[in-house]
Amino acid sequence: MIGLPHYLLVSAALFCLGVLGVLTRRNAVNVLMGIELILNSANLNLVAFSRYGSGNLQGQMFAIFVIVIAAAEAAVALAIVLTLYRLRRTPNLDQADILRG
Amino acid sequence: MPEVLKSLPRFLPEIALTAALLLVVLVDATGIKARNALSRLLTALGLAAALALSLADHGVPSETWSGMLVADPMGSFFKALLVGASLVVALAFTFRNSAELHGLGQGEFHALLLAVTLSNLLLASANDLAMLYLALEMVSITSYVMVAYFKGDRMSNEASLKYVLFGAVSTGAMVYGMSLLYGLTGSTSLPTIRAFLSEGLTDQNRFAVYLIALLIFAGFGFKTAAVPFHFWCPDVYQGAPTPVTAFLSVAPKAAGFSIMLRFFFGGLSSHGATPWDLSGLIDWTWLLMLISVLTMTVGNVAALTQTNMKRLLAYSSIAHAGYVMMGVVALSENGARALMIYLLAYVVMNLGAFLVVTLVHKQDGTFDLRDYAGLSKRAPGLTFAMAIFLFSLMGIPPLVGFMGKFYVFAAVIERGPSYWAYGTIGAVNAAIGAYYYARVLKTMIIDEPHVEKPAFRLPTADLAWIAALAAANILPLLFWSRVEAWARASLSIYAGL
Repeated sequence: MIGLPHYLLVSAALFCLGVLGVLTRRNAVNVLMGIELILNSANLNLVAFSRYGSGNLQGQMFAIFVIVIAAAEAAVALAIVLTLYRLRRTPNLDQADILRG
Repeated sequence: MPEVLKSLPRFLPEIALTAALLLVVLVDATGIKARNALSRLLTALGLAAALALSLADHGVPSETWSGMLVADPMGSFFKALLVGASLVVALAFTFRNSAELHGLGQGEFHALLLAVTLSNLLLASANDLAMLYLALEMVSITSYVMVAYFKGDRMSNEASLKYVLFGAVSTGAMVYGMSLLYGLTGSTSLPTIRAFLSEGLTDQNRFAVYLIALLIFAGFGFKTAAVPFHFWCPDVYQGAPTPVTAFLSVAPKAAGFSIMLRFFFGGLSSHGATPWDLSGLIDWTWLLMLISVLTMTVGNVAALTQTNMKRLLAYSSIAHAGYVMMGVVALSENGARALMIYLLAYVVMNLGAFLVVTLVHKQDGTFDLRDYAGLSKRAPGLTFAMAIFLFSLMGIPPLVGFMGKFYVFAAVIERGPSYWAYGTIGAVNAAIGAYYYARVLKTMIIDEPHVEKPAFRLPTADLAWIAALAAANILPLLFWSRVEAWARASLSIYAGL
């Protein structure tokens, strides 16, 4: 029988994979994919808690807003990555290094 | 329907900003010749109306919009502060006096400025985790675009890239923490969470709440540039157009502190006692104290060696976030009042310093501290104003910066001997800070310039704003009892249930 702990384990694994992706990837698009994983792990938590825990719909409503925000954030982030590519002909983050000190 | 009718009168500042935002977008889309002047005028009018409406709200503290937002005196105080900061940025930092923004589209810039202000206001009055997250992301996403405004510039692009990646990860960690908090308490509403937590926790759950608070603090720490979530700050402040930097260094930071107060006091404090009483539930003090000490120390030490003025002021703003957080650490009414007073002072002194940096860049095309040599002979008035802003940032009496520091240190020290070491660290940090502010002054006044530069031309409008901001650093001392009374009257926070 699949219950709340299973969902929580999957979401914790997703969160860790997302953080790992953000920390290890050089390509900006891959980093954005890691961020999506982090946000979706939170969504999974919210929906699972709403189903098995509190019994109210606040969690599901919250999850829908998180999905919308993730889309808006991805739009802005991809536009910025596209500008990076236009200016430097590379999507790699380690070449964006003129600001330091 | 009755809920909407009840909420609307408490929502007027936000409505004014939304109307101005839509009008600016429409005016810009018409393509008429006067659209730039018109969008600036509409922005100023919208912000002025919102400022007047936030100051006019004197209703009883209550929930609005079915518990999504609250209307209370603390919210009104922060709304007035945030709208005021935006108004100064919109009027003093024009497209004419910024060499970076000159020639770029003004309509979008003003629309973005209004959007950030609107979301700052929502953040300052959020009462539900979902609303808190939405408002925080709206502030973030619009400010990513503002940082990237200088589109063809590599620095602006790199700054926005770093900002968006750091921001997305920190807010991602925050929303994960919020999902766990919802799981633990069964609600996203801050008053309900508070009621649940105040019924007592098992040791296991106590650890969980600690972890959750750390995750959620990632989001607040990112907004206020607190260590260890400050890495984006110097790069973003250096790369962004200077008016945007000036705006980001005050408004989202103040909104971040307002939500930090509301979350830690309104959500995670024990029920039944006064709204400010956190003791007995979970020991936050040491965690917040550690973050505050690290924030001020890292900011001040890193600022010592900076030669770029924008970067120096970025590290200085990190250090100031550490001082402001002393007001949160004190966990008392006096602490919250000190935080409010410090933020008021911080807005006028930091915007002033950034305005001087913008004007020097417009004239000489440089942000390098070494190029400030000999400025006192070319522009004595500007140097004098900069001296006032820097002395205020240092915390020298009789300037408002001193009053801010005085209140936060007093709030910490009166909490008892176990806080004295913390207060001492703060004082040492203020001394370190004085060194690099004085270094800027020394360069401007004593150092000889390497090359002869043409005379400094200062348009009347800029001169007037510099004078006004300098006066705002001194004059409040003349009617200080009123400022203090305003902050004291704003201490009331809606605690729900």
